[in-house]
Amino acid sequence: MKKMTAAAAILVAGLVTTGIAAAQATVGQPAPAFTGVDTAGKPVSLDSYKGKYVVLEWVNPDCPFVKKHYDSGNMPATQKHAAAKDVVWLSVSTSGNATNDPKVASSLNSWTKEKNATPTALVLDDGKIGHAYGAKTTPHMYLIDPAGKIVYAGAIDSKPSSNAADIAGSTNYVIQAIDEVKAGKAVSKPITQPYGCSVKYAS
Amino acid sequence: MTSLYKFAAASLLFTFLPLAQAAGPVVVTDHVRGELLVHAPEGIRPGKTLWLGLAIDHQPHWHTYWKNPGDSGLATTLAWKLPAGFTAGEIAWPTPKKLPLGPLTNYGYENRVLLPVPVQVPAGFAGQELKIGLHAEWLVCKEICLPESGDFDITVPANAPVSASGALFSATRAATPVALEGATATARVDGKAIAVEVRGLAAAPQGDVQYFAEDIGVIDYAARVDQQWADGTLRLRVPLSPQRSESPTVLKAVLVAPGQPAGWTVSIPVEGPWPAIGAADPAPAPAAAVAPVPMPAAPAAPAADTSFVLSLLFAFLGGALLNLMPCVFPVLSLKIFSLVQHREERRKAVAGGMAYTAGVVLSFVALAGLLLALRAGGAELGWGFQLQSPPVVAGLAALFTLIGLNLAGVFEFGGVLPGALGGYRAKNPLVDDALSGALAVAVASPCTAPFMGAALGVALTEPAPQALAIFAVLGLGMAAPYLLVALVPALGRLLPRPGAWMVRFKVLMAFPMFATVVWLLWVLGQQTGIDAMAGMAGVLVALAFACWTIGAPAKSRGTKIAFAVAGGVVLAAAVHLAWPLLKAEPAGPAQASARSPGHWAPWSVEAVGQARAAGKPVFIDFTAAWCITCQFNKRTVLSDAQLLKDFGARDVVLLRADWTRRDPAITRELAQLGRSGVPVYVLLGPNHSQPPQVLSEVLTVEQVRTALGRIRPAS
Repeated sequence: MKKMTAAAAILVAGLVTTGIAAAQATVGQPAPAFTGVDTAGKPVSLDSYKGKYVVLEWVNPDCPFVKKHYDSGNMPATQKHAAAKDVVWLSVSTSGNATNDPKVASSLNSWTKEKNATPTALVLDDGKIGHAYGAKTTPHMYLIDPAGKIVYAGAIDSKPSSNAADIAGSTNYVIQAIDEVKAGKAVSKPITQPYGCSVKYAS
Repeated sequence: MTSLYKFAAASLLFTFLPLAQAAGPVVVTDHVRGELLVHAPEGIRPGKTLWLGLAIDHQPHWHTYWKNPGDSGLATTLAWKLPAGFTAGEIAWPTPKKLPLGPLTNYGYENRVLLPVPVQVPAGFAGQELKIGLHAEWLVCKEICLPESGDFDITVPANAPVSASGALFSATRAATPVALEGATATARVDGKAIAVEVRGLAAAPQGDVQYFAEDIGVIDYAARVDQQWADGTLRLRVPLSPQRSESPTVLKAVLVAPGQPAGWTVSIPVEGPWPAIGAADPAPAPAAAVAPVPMPAAPAAPAADTSFVLSLLFAFLGGALLNLMPCVFPVLSLKIFSLVQHREERRKAVAGGMAYTAGVVLSFVALAGLLLALRAGGAELGWGFQLQSPPVVAGLAALFTLIGLNLAGVFEFGGVLPGALGGYRAKNPLVDDALSGALAVAVASPCTAPFMGAALGVALTEPAPQALAIFAVLGLGMAAPYLLVALVPALGRLLPRPGAWMVRFKVLMAFPMFATVVWLLWVLGQQTGIDAMAGMAGVLVALAFACWTIGAPAKSRGTKIAFAVAGGVVLAAAVHLAWPLLKAEPAGPAQASARSPGHWAPWSVEAVGQARAAGKPVFIDFTAAWCITCQFNKRTVLSDAQLLKDFGARDVVLLRADWTRRDPAITRELAQLGRSGVPVYVLLGPNHSQPPQVLSEVLTVEQVRTALGRIRPAS
């Protein structure tokens, strides 16, 4: 009887640990595959970018921290830097009604245009992608290598604040990570703590 | 058009800009009201510390953040502008709340929070006033987040005390975590969690301890923290964040136990290495290897149902035995007296028995309900809590004096009570019976009778319905003997026949009542000192006098009124004089322990730790002045010369934990032993692996010696 209980406990523990591993992506592990829909209604799949570096950026135009990096031009500049290095940029908007509210898509489109932002695609997520990556904040940044492994996860830069004046003196972790991997080096800060508004999961 | 627009915008800017700069102590935004507060109860003196703080009142459901905001958010920052030489310290952050949001968790504050900061006044400060400026930035969030800021300024006089916000500052201090003396903690990484062990918490928390990480980037804030309490050690498994970015050598955390809303700060050194950040997980190991190290099993808990039924049985037996306790005996004698009177009227006797039972059961349930409610509100109380309050003891002493005087024939209740009430009472003897049941409970509650200690301990850890059921059964047990005599006429016939002896018996019964009053006064003396005790004795004399003025036969209505007025005035004067004494600061605990005869030292967690560290066994007497069983054991078994010699021979450290007044440390220690009242006797061996021996409430010399014989030497 005792043996059976122990066996059951081990089984359950095993299930739980695998469950967690599947649920939360992290640096050093394969990036969870996903197929989403972009603001134009076209499917976007991570698989289709295999062989390229991919940046995932969690975005929410209403969030003051996102505004800080867009209004100042910092995020569009980072996107241009990535594009110049042949890095794909997917901006992900997670919200409970993202995928079925046409207004969300059109307002995202006009907002990125207004900010001169140039992501490869704007992905609408109802929460599945966010959950798979453990996305916590807007912004929350990930860099995925050509083999499909996560090499960076965390903040956009080193100064957690909502004040645009802090951008000048901070380290842009995404640019740093892109430059390092492109130079064949390991990412010096593979994980940092993201800061910002919480991702709007449907509760 | 454009220029007009620009002009309008500029005018607006100029209209608002001066307003924003002429700050003052209050800034109101759309979501909070911020106020700069100063607390300097002794004025602003050179070399002293002064407290400044930002009070934030949030709109409903909006929140700001703790120093570690959790999964998102940003801590509030304060930048002070103070005259040269003044140095502002860090924010003394009050304990935050967990704010869950879908799969995320934040640490922060809702409603009202004060963020206090200590400020060192320079030694050479000689100004007449102090100008204080503050620039604060906070992020306030609901579903959306808004960064807000405010500029505050205030000028306060230096010599006058500033204490208008004293209540808020002291309430905040009470809600701020403190380092727990004598507590130690360690941690090691164990798979995907960090296993934390905390030793030196006084008692097993009743429910889950909340873990607030001060370190950013280590744990998964939203994940459940598994926990287990065993052998005085709290073991936690705190899941690590899959996106952990930091590997601190010392973790800092705030632990909050239920009923301890302020919580404790703990520093937890991490033993062993951290896995490298961002390193791929090792190849999937066999399930057995990745399974978390199982927590030690919970303290032997039999299947819930059996233990609950057993608790009910013990409660019933304990309740029945309670009748033999000296506290209840005087009341019980009253009941037997009334039973004798009713012996010829069976129906009345049965109805009276039922009413008495109802009174006892309902009173127990009400008292237990009150205790549970107070504990839920955070008060550290145990059974007998009501007698830890001097006014309650004084009230009972007055009540028993009244009953005694009534039995002695000084006055009749009918003459005292207003006509309507007296008549009601005569017409409703059932109400009378129910009230005497309530009275019996009031005096019986401090006597934790044999079998009851464990049952009460269980009761107070159970969910409310079960706990109340246990107390109801306890009441049934207490009322059972009386109910049995009322129900079974054959038993009733064993009682003596009514007759003239009854008048004498009634007066005789006044003396146990007065004896109870003496005991209550002694308890009061222990709690508040000899002055209050004398004051209360004076009140009782005045009360007796007032009763006599009412009961005394008077010739005319005028004389009667004059008598009654005189009695009332004397009583009022006595109460007026004695009242401040009752509220006086209780004497320090050392005084009570100093009276302990023999080799007894006052109990404390540290004293126990020191003795065991020195390899000595420890015997602890958990006692209270109002606990008669405790006093009996203390004077007989624990004063036994031979036993004291045996204690000496084995080098046992004797500690006495006096619970006469409220003492949260003792309450916690009792809870850890699974008890909620006194007496409790515990023998701890020097060998930590040997569980504590908890002896029975009715102590015998033989029992203590047997327990001594079982002590194993330190390993």
